[in-house]
Amino acid sequence: MKSFAILTDTTRCIGCEQCVVACKQLNATGEDAPWPWQGSPNDLSSTRWTTIVRGPHGRPVRVHCRHCLEPACASACPVGALHTTPQGAVAYDPTICLGCRYCMIACPFRFTRYEWESNTPRVRKCILCYDRLVSGEISQPACTAACPTKATIFGERDALLLEARRRIEANPHRYIHHIWGEHEVGGTSVLYISDVDLATAGWPTYLRKSSYPALTRPAMHLVPPTFVTVAAAMAGLSWVIGRRQKLAQGEPPAELAATTDNPEEKEKL
Amino acid sequence: MNTEVNVRLIVTQAVLWFLLGAGAVSAGYRFLRGLGTATALNDLTPWGLWIGFDVVSGVALAAGGFVIAAVVHVFHLHRFHGIVRPAILTAFLGYAAVVVGLLADLGRPWNIWRMIVYWQPTSPLFEVGWCVMLYLSVLTLEFAPVVFEGLQWNRLYRLLRAFTLPLVVVGIALSTLHQSSLGSLFLINPERIHPLWYSPLLPLLFFVSAVGLGLATVVVEGVITSWLYRREAEWDVLPALLRAASIVLSLFLLLRLGDLAVRGSLRYLVEGSWWPMLFLLEVLLSVVVPVLLFTLPSFRSNRKALAAGAFLVVFGFVVNRATVAGISHVARTGFAYFPSLPELLVSLGIVALAALVFLFFVERLRVWEEPPQPAGHLRPAAHDPLSGLYVRAPWLGAPQRAAIACLAGGVLTAALLEAGVANGSQPRPNPVAPPRSVSALRIPRVAAPGNRLVLVLPSSDAEPQPQALQRATLIDGNRAGRWVLFEHEAHQQRLGGNLSCGRCHHFNLPLERGTSCGRCHRDMYRSTDTFSHDRHTAALGANGSCSRCHRSEGEKTRATATPCRECHEREVSRNAEIAVSPTTVAGVAPGYVKAMHGLCVTCHTKHEAAATPAREPYLSRCPACHREISDTGREMRVREGTVLLSSIAP
Repeated sequence: MKSFAILTDTTRCIGCEQCVVACKQLNATGEDAPWPWQGSPNDLSSTRWTTIVRGPHGRPVRVHCRHCLEPACASACPVGALHTTPQGAVAYDPTICLGCRYCMIACPFRFTRYEWESNTPRVRKCILCYDRLVSGEISQPACTAACPTKATIFGERDALLLEARRRIEANPHRYIHHIWGEHEVGGTSVLYISDVDLATAGWPTYLRKSSYPALTRPAMHLVPPTFVTVAAAMAGLSWVIGRRQKLAQGEPPAELAATTDNPEEKEKL
Repeated sequence: MNTEVNVRLIVTQAVLWFLLGAGAVSAGYRFLRGLGTATALNDLTPWGLWIGFDVVSGVALAAGGFVIAAVVHVFHLHRFHGIVRPAILTAFLGYAAVVVGLLADLGRPWNIWRMIVYWQPTSPLFEVGWCVMLYLSVLTLEFAPVVFEGLQWNRLYRLLRAFTLPLVVVGIALSTLHQSSLGSLFLINPERIHPLWYSPLLPLLFFVSAVGLGLATVVVEGVITSWLYRREAEWDVLPALLRAASIVLSLFLLLRLGDLAVRGSLRYLVEGSWWPMLFLLEVLLSVVVPVLLFTLPSFRSNRKALAAGAFLVVFGFVVNRATVAGISHVARTGFAYFPSLPELLVSLGIVALAALVFLFFVERLRVWEEPPQPAGHLRPAAHDPLSGLYVRAPWLGAPQRAAIACLAGGVLTAALLEAGVANGSQPRPNPVAPPRSVSALRIPRVAAPGNRLVLVLPSSDAEPQPQALQRATLIDGNRAGRWVLFEHEAHQQRLGGNLSCGRCHHFNLPLERGTSCGRCHRDMYRSTDTFSHDRHTAALGANGSCSRCHRSEGEKTRATATPCRECHEREVSRNAEIAVSPTTVAGVAPGYVKAMHGLCVTCHTKHEAAATPAREPYLSRCPACHREISDTGREMRVREGTVLLSSIAP
């Protein structure tokens, strides 16, 4: 199975925002109507699935959904509206989405956006142009196709990892010897190489190396055994204690008389 | 007919109905205007009061049902039998309130049933959803006998009584699961939650505290209802519940502090912020003070001290749940959140609705051994002892009081919301300011149809003929704080006459009162354009400056604008043109890259090839800008297209 992935080389990015325009056009996201709480109109939003941010270093860095190999959002979604496709893209199906926004709580990058103004709101984020790629309508996502300097390229994850390593080795003095996305959060399909630290540009230092769904997994695995154990223990306890009371009194358990509120039943007893 | 009038019950019911009316109108507002306008939620704070209080705290507060059911039916402690029914009713209403609150919070609530079909066992929310659904059914069946008993449906009553124990056992198991799974919800993102509240043990902590909280809630509910109905609370058994609660709560505190110590998170208690303060306050209110009140000999026989302790437990754990579910996220996202008025009113309305249903049931069914006296009438019907008839109708009976209070709450809330006091937030740009009427000079155009409007300033030297002055409209059509003369009639004609109103004034869209100018005149406002119209307008003198670039009469478009190089003589050499390919979006200037490559690079290449003196940077060479590219080598070829595994040698 061919995997979808994107490699962004920030040394080549000139910040022209062609990727943003191409994404907005292809996905028909509509015009930006920023909210007062949005830091800047150019932040990621429900109408802007990819954008250019500039850290303190002033270098333009493109940000968009990381398409984690083990996505926290898809693991959190109670109905699987957010799901990992066989090709590795994290896609979204609005027809079954409840709008619980647990995905937005779960995303460690905080990149998931919501159509707050709508009465039928959808979760909005980069979907790697997954549907159009699979249908064969396009051969690569709108953003990578639009990039004039090929700072962001589309391909298979393994190939892009090789390419990233090759670039770093070919220019060891320019690049930081790190491929962002290779190991972060258990690996992502969106990879970055850079000559500046990307901690302030979409790769915060708090990110774990291991996957986020793994944090919930032990608790979820305990659910079925807990149910069986608790139910069995409660039924057993009730029987044992009830029987001991009965034996101690040597007569029908007092509970019946005590718990019956219906006068008819009391009469019968 | 009772003659006693219970004023505190009348007032309480009126307040509850008032809140219900306010909450209902707020809920309507939320569904008409959308979550963004009605709430203070946003992309970085996607969960707020409705999840933190109504759902996460609501479920914990309803824990009394399964705890008391276990005490009586599993441990066979029959002296607590009298409080089973109120506890089950409270739990049932609590869970129903949770579901109503959730429906308000969900963006697409009509899809809630899909959780039954699309299984997603990795999601704690899926598990919580299923458990709440099942447990609400169990609670319905547990409470149904009380209703059947009241309706004298004895066969159904006996049938359900036979299933009491299995229902109780399933109910306890389900409660164990979802009380803990509410904690599991927050396991997935440690980056959102302050480390004093995040713990891998959250599920266990949530479950243990729910047991203690459930015991305290039963006491609180007993104290409140006994105050309301002027009846004796079940003080013969309540202190025993609180003693049990103090054991559970102490265990909870040990677990919590031990967990913090083992994971080395106690150091956050001395960090210089108000989070340790909140932590200490919460621990004091929810555990330390109540446990002391429940166990110290000087307090434990004092009913007021016990009741105060139970209230503190309830309050403290609502703070605890809200902090895990939202408040402590502020420490990580840096995004302060305070619920909007509709959020507060919907939450209060749901609580009021649950309370009213509770009062309805206890007054009509045998929830307690003796149903309490209803509130009575402010002025009861007069009874004529001779004829045996009521000669005067009661004044302001319960239905009338309810209707008045409910309407008052609804109308007041509607007025507040309409006045805009209550809005969560609005997307920029802000709604259009009301248009202003001014005197303007209307001059017929020479080259194009239509008129030109000219604003006459009071200081103008050339005073125009007064008869040429006409009323014209000034609007701030882009909500940018800049006013322009606006020909409403011309727009109307161009867009299709009388039927065209909806093309600009679509009042039905949320957040919109009219289309901004930029919607149609979009060539002026493209954020990704190289050419910034705004910057040019500002530099040239705002509104009066249009004619400095658009010199000809007629439409002011890109085509009628003065070429850039007429002003920017030094930046642009003569005869240089930007190549506009057919694929370029019509009417839109090419972006920065095309400008550089089409304009600067073409010219520099020509000069450098002809060996005419060309200044640095030598733009014909790619590395002049793109430092990482070598002119030779495969890197250029790699840039041409997609990299596939097969195209790269190992």
